[in-house]
Amino acid sequence: MAVALAMGIFVAVRMQTPAEPKQAFVLPAPMPLPEFELVDQTGNAVTRDTFRDHWDLVFFGFTHCPDICPTTLQVLATARKELADTGQEPLPRIVLVSVDPERDTPELMGQYVDYFGDGNLGATGKLTELKKLTTALGIFFEKQAGAAENYAVDHSAAVLVINPAGEFHALFSGSHQVDNVVHDMPLIMAAY
Amino acid sequence: MRFFSFFLFALMAACNGAPQPPLVASDVVITRPMPGRTMSAGYLSLTNNSDDTIRISHVTSAHYESVQLHETTTEDGISRMRAIPLLEIPAGETVTFERGGKHLMLMRPTGPVNTVSLSFMDGNNLILAVDATFDSQTD
Repeated sequence: MAVALAMGIFVAVRMQTPAEPKQAFVLPAPMPLPEFELVDQTGNAVTRDTFRDHWDLVFFGFTHCPDICPTTLQVLATARKELADTGQEPLPRIVLVSVDPERDTPELMGQYVDYFGDGNLGATGKLTELKKLTTALGIFFEKQAGAAENYAVDHSAAVLVINPAGEFHALFSGSHQVDNVVHDMPLIMAAY
Repeated sequence: MRFFSFFLFALMAACNGAPQPPLVASDVVITRPMPGRTMSAGYLSLTNNSDDTIRISHVTSAHYESVQLHETTTEDGISRMRAIPLLEIPAGETVTFERGGKHLMLMRPTGPVNTVSLSFMDGNNLILAVDATFDSQTD
């Protein structure tokens, strides 16, 4: 009797307090992506329609970045694998948008994103098109002074979640942890 | 991601009963250059066992055209990477190079990188030499 009562209280409490994302911030009103046109690693156009019918985890970085960019992509790749291991469907796609289109060719983007697994998308292209996307999303990037090959690019650390309607849906701010992504993404997708 | 792991042999290796070397490197890991890239990052801890501040002005290696001391910082949601012009390790303290923080930027390997030597310098003075051997278990 006491056990049944306790179980009932536990279930009631659980029903009253649905699980919340640990790190991700879900936008009160998802924001449609702007019109823009970049190119993926195979030369195909990347537009806002590219983001329809997928859940996407989008990171803005560059391939000459030896530390935070590969670290972040590895976090996302590991999280995606862990989600797959649990049978999560759908699985979010990992997208790297280059903030260094001057050096990041589609071929380089392909080599880079393929390193972190199959099905990833790398987008680069004209600076003017990139800025259409980043300005609308509030993504900061700024090229720093330096030698032609060695300059760095300051950039937002955030990972954006794009929903299957092609809308900016949620945001993971740094620092990124596998456990947070694995915990939060199923909740975000289930609540959509 | 695949990693190199290192076996460390400091020039002033400690022997039983001998004083500790003034500067010790530990937990050294570098990333392999990714496909299409010619740069990678190195991570380690440097412990100053001496009574004086130890300064590292730069790092050299015969196995890379260039090695730079860098630091990534993330403030107000913005990641920035900057060179460290002079690294100071206070007496008795450890400075840690880790992902998303201080790191060695290893640029343009001069050949197959199965063995790596790194020389931590203060001007023209060699402060610490680290020989690193590729460990296939962690590649």
